[in-house]
Amino acid sequence: MGFLCNWCSYAGADLAGVSRIQYPTNIRIIRVMCSGRVDPTFVVDAFLHGIDGVLVLGCHLGDCHYITGNYEAEIKMSSLSKLLNIVKFSDRMQLDWVSAAEGNRFAQIVSEFTKHIQELGPSPIKENKTKTQCIDDLEAVKSVLESSRLRGLIARQRDLVTEKNVYGNQIPAEKFENLLNDAIYNEFVRHKIVIKIKEIGKSVPDIANEIGIKAKEVLEHIVVLRSRGLVDVHEINEEIPTFISIRGG
Amino acid sequence: MSSEDIRIGVFICHCGTNIGGVLDVPSLTDYARSLPNVTYSADNLYTCSEVGLTEIKENIKEHELNRVIVASCSPRTHEPLFRAICQEAGLNPYLFEMVNIRDQDSWVHMKEPEKGTDKARDLIRMSVYKAALLEPLERVKVAVTHSAFIIGGGIAGMTAALNLGNQGFKIFLIEKEPELGGLLNSLNKVFPSNEDASKLLEIIDMIESHDNIKLYKSSVIENITGFVGNYNVVIKQNKKTINIDAGVIIVATGAIPLSPEGYFGYDKKKIISQLDLERLLKDDQVKANNITMILCVGCRNEERRYCSNICCMSAIKNAMLLIEKNPNTHITILFRDIQAAGTDYEKYYRRAREMGILFIKYLPEKPPIIKKDLVDVYSDLLNQDIKIPQDLVVLSTPLIANEDSEVLAKMLKVPLEENNFFLEAHVKLRPVDFATDGVYVCGSAHWPADIAESTSQANAAASRASIILWKDQLEVEGSTAEVKTELCIGCEACIRICPYSAITKDEETDTAIVNKVVCKGCGLCGASCPKNAIIIHHFTSDQIRAEIFTYGGEI
Amino acid sequence: MVIGAGIAGIQASLDLAERGIKVELVEKNACIGGRMAQLDKTFPTNDCSICILAPKLAECSRHPNITLHTLSEVRYVEGSVGNFTAKVLKHARYVKEDVCINCGTCVEKCPMRVEDDFDMQLRKRRAIYIDYVQGVPAIMTIDKEKCLWFTKSACRICEKVCEREAIDFEQQDTEIELNVASIIAATGYDVFDPTPIIYLGYGRFPNVVTSLEFERLISASGPVGGHLIRPFDKKEPENLAFINCVGSRDIKNNPYCSSCCCMYTTKEAMIAYEHNNKIQSSIFYIDLRAGGKGFRDYIQRGRNDYAITYINGKVAKILQDEQKNPIVVYEDTDTFEVKKLKFDIVVLATSMVPKKDAVRLSEILGISVDEYNFLKSMAYHPQKSSKEGIFLCGACRAPMDIPNSVVDASGAAAKAAEIVMRV
Repeated sequence: MGFLCNWCSYAGADLAGVSRIQYPTNIRIIRVMCSGRVDPTFVVDAFLHGIDGVLVLGCHLGDCHYITGNYEAEIKMSSLSKLLNIVKFSDRMQLDWVSAAEGNRFAQIVSEFTKHIQELGPSPIKENKTKTQCIDDLEAVKSVLESSRLRGLIARQRDLVTEKNVYGNQIPAEKFENLLNDAIYNEFVRHKIVIKIKEIGKSVPDIANEIGIKAKEVLEHIVVLRSRGLVDVHEINEEIPTFISIRGG
Repeated sequence: MSSEDIRIGVFICHCGTNIGGVLDVPSLTDYARSLPNVTYSADNLYTCSEVGLTEIKENIKEHELNRVIVASCSPRTHEPLFRAICQEAGLNPYLFEMVNIRDQDSWVHMKEPEKGTDKARDLIRMSVYKAALLEPLERVKVAVTHSAFIIGGGIAGMTAALNLGNQGFKIFLIEKEPELGGLLNSLNKVFPSNEDASKLLEIIDMIESHDNIKLYKSSVIENITGFVGNYNVVIKQNKKTINIDAGVIIVATGAIPLSPEGYFGYDKKKIISQLDLERLLKDDQVKANNITMILCVGCRNEERRYCSNICCMSAIKNAMLLIEKNPNTHITILFRDIQAAGTDYEKYYRRAREMGILFIKYLPEKPPIIKKDLVDVYSDLLNQDIKIPQDLVVLSTPLIANEDSEVLAKMLKVPLEENNFFLEAHVKLRPVDFATDGVYVCGSAHWPADIAESTSQANAAASRASIILWKDQLEVEGSTAEVKTELCIGCEACIRICPYSAITKDEETDTAIVNKVVCKGCGLCGASCPKNAIIIHHFTSDQIRAEIFTYGGEI
Repeated sequence: MVIGAGIAGIQASLDLAERGIKVELVEKNACIGGRMAQLDKTFPTNDCSICILAPKLAECSRHPNITLHTLSEVRYVEGSVGNFTAKVLKHARYVKEDVCINCGTCVEKCPMRVEDDFDMQLRKRRAIYIDYVQGVPAIMTIDKEKCLWFTKSACRICEKVCEREAIDFEQQDTEIELNVASIIAATGYDVFDPTPIIYLGYGRFPNVVTSLEFERLISASGPVGGHLIRPFDKKEPENLAFINCVGSRDIKNNPYCSSCCCMYTTKEAMIAYEHNNKIQSSIFYIDLRAGGKGFRDYIQRGRNDYAITYINGKVAKILQDEQKNPIVVYEDTDTFEVKKLKFDIVVLATSMVPKKDAVRLSEILGISVDEYNFLKSMAYHPQKSSKEGIFLCGACRAPMDIPNSVVDASGAAAKAAEIVMRV
């Protein structure tokens, strides 16, 4: 699936047509006005529905019809890519730039990406063995991307890092990067915990075991999740509490 | 509208053999008919021909279609036509969708007709699912105040005011100084005609006596609110507060010459600035025979990397005037690169050399040294140090941004570039527009400009402004953003992200509000909102997800 | 009436049309877009030229207030400010404008191969053609001079293969009369032909090209798809030279400064580097004229990030070795030595010159030309011609870059609007 901005990349795709440049038939294009319109959750939705690869194409940096739209796209897709990396899907997503004059380049990107995806094979979500795990992972990724914490950070990234004199001072890019990386990882684990204990109450060691992280870390996350009202104590068996997600919490 | 009420018509174009010669159009037509909510589907040889268009209109009526899909070429070229046809048939134009099965299918999969047809099937299905969720949108209309507020009464501001005034619009021209004229008041003569600067200031009389122009001299701006077509400006004149309504605003605040204080021992007596020289020339007070001019003083250096564009010509002008006055004067101009672009200026530069003015290129790493009665300079061309006798040194400094630019930029919500000159919407194609609609820039506020450039830009800004001013109403694109107030937490992320300053905060409810007149529908805010509280009409998340879901299917 | 539909004419027309004023836009070529359509990218932002131009082309052809007359020439003008009458000759296209859908079938089948002027003759087009793929109006044109039917009364294959029956060999040139309040000339420029400057070797040495030819070579939509090769032997070049002021600031040719070459040679060197970062460029210059907004920084970026060396000095001559590599002979201003440098391609930054029919147009309009034959404008009101009601914009009045042309165009539109509002 390809998300193409109206002004450059979609025009580049049209030019490939006018120039009769042949490329693989695998891509289905959704036209948006700007690559910055592409909500990262769209990409996750595509994976959740079995789409094997997603291309997001915008104008070259500096050429955006809406001035800063493709910079925003770059920021969003960079965070998305980090999350997808955790669940081993980042290989299946690519952000790139195509101008209205680059029919050849468009065809080339589609051809190469198609070949790349064919080499990776079909999405693991479509295989019985890995299906549940993939759904859990991608649902967690989606929840993180829907969370106001991460969206808030991403939405402000350019402003906080590059614009001067916002709130009096500027955050160094490196410091922001660390903050963002922490948020991405921690939120992912938290949302994964929420998903794991959606139906059945589970103890901290059980959760730790299932997710593959230390029990101490799980406990810290449980504390945060309880304070957010997303998780509560389910029952206490032999002095070991189990926790469960609160629906719509 | 419940789903039973949705009646979609799908028209699939053969485009002669362009599509029909590759894809199986009849099977696509049958397939479209099998999709949910599709009431009617047909194929045409050329959907964009009179026959094809009439067929769309007739079928909208006959089958009571309330969504129309055309699968043919590119929406970039043909969507406006089909939308207009829908509208003629009484259908809201936003209930139209287009599927690109030519430029992005039959033309690029010419050797794979079956796979190409499969692709077209998917694209049509995606469009049908999106179409079911389309909503009728209205183009918002707002009234326009037919007046312009022009900031700065120099040559740029006056030229813009005169043009718009002559076009019949009401003009409010504000000047912080007691007199109009700006920098021209400090000049003696102007290049390349070498006529008196006062000759160009004759425009002042035309401005002062113009029926359509209201002048506010010795006045300052207190506050600016509003948006394109509807700005409100509060100004202060002699402690009196005045409210002005204007449809557009033109920034013509000019720039100021950098004082050479601290450079080359500037002392205003033996080492003076070009501006000082203008005054001396005006009063016929120059008493020197060996004059050296140093260009690029205080610019093209670490602090100010830019070239101020106009200083070469103004130095050459003064050098010429000095020689005309006293042919025995020896003048040397120490330069880095002579800016004499175009026809007139290059000729002017050549004339100066013919008059005996000596030009020596110096290197920034070996700047001239001023000694008593001498200037020492290393000439790159001659590869040697040269000693030039001098009894007067004139320093050319750049024009620098006005110190109040920052305040004004904040009030107008428009950007400055790194040297604090105003930053236009697009360097190439929108040189006098700001990204914010209804605000324009001209003259040296934008970048150091000579008189010809300033008047050109002023007229250009007037032209752009008149596009707004002549209209009684502005009609704007229906596909804009909208904030779901009940979900908004007032975090202001969207306000910061919007490239057009289209979003503001409603102070009462503490929520964001989109000004539909200013919004361009790019969707940045929607994709960023932490609370998903913003709908991007015509490209809503639900519509886009419908396309994704139906293509991917259930796993 | 706006004469010329390059970026200046288009901008002037759009401004006026949006302002509610009817515009007759007269263009000599089959497609609008002018020189800007030939450019790959534009300085100092390196925006893709066609990306930013194409929306304006579409707007122009669609705007209800603009009547587009392509393949048309102004033949005669009479009257005065507020009331001009113009006679315009519309050449036959031999293709029905409202029927052709630009599908390209006829082009595929046309047997005539013709030098493609849009691509600076670096590739062939057919006798039925469209200037460039994004051209507006998006319809074909038959080149009467080259078409076999018109030259040898044979062929007519295009007519047979056109499913829409859009070909019409019976079309005739027509003359129309336009009544207008004001006229804007935006006829642009020609490019200096460096052949007569024998010592530069252009025309004799295959790897000495003009800047506009080079622009097509590096253009994504050009004859080699933007992947730079020497047209002569398909070799991938690594050493480029750009010679500024070819035909300009030169008493023997054009004494004036062509005003954009310092910037566009930098741009072309940058684009070449972006395609292949083994490429090193040397730019030979007299003065680096970079007074525009952000231009100094642009040059600095060229120097720091794009392997461009700026060499101050005038080129004495260009030679060629046995492998047809051009050799630049120049005087090094640092050492006073005559030096020789070998390059793979030498690009001549040829100056903008007045249109060859500029004098004729000035006579038709009753306006003056300057000493170089550019249409003459007033010193401090550059959009004014010598005749009231007739305005000038863009490179028809002096060499200038795109932003200045756009400013000029809007400025001319404002002056024309003033007149329209008065009548």
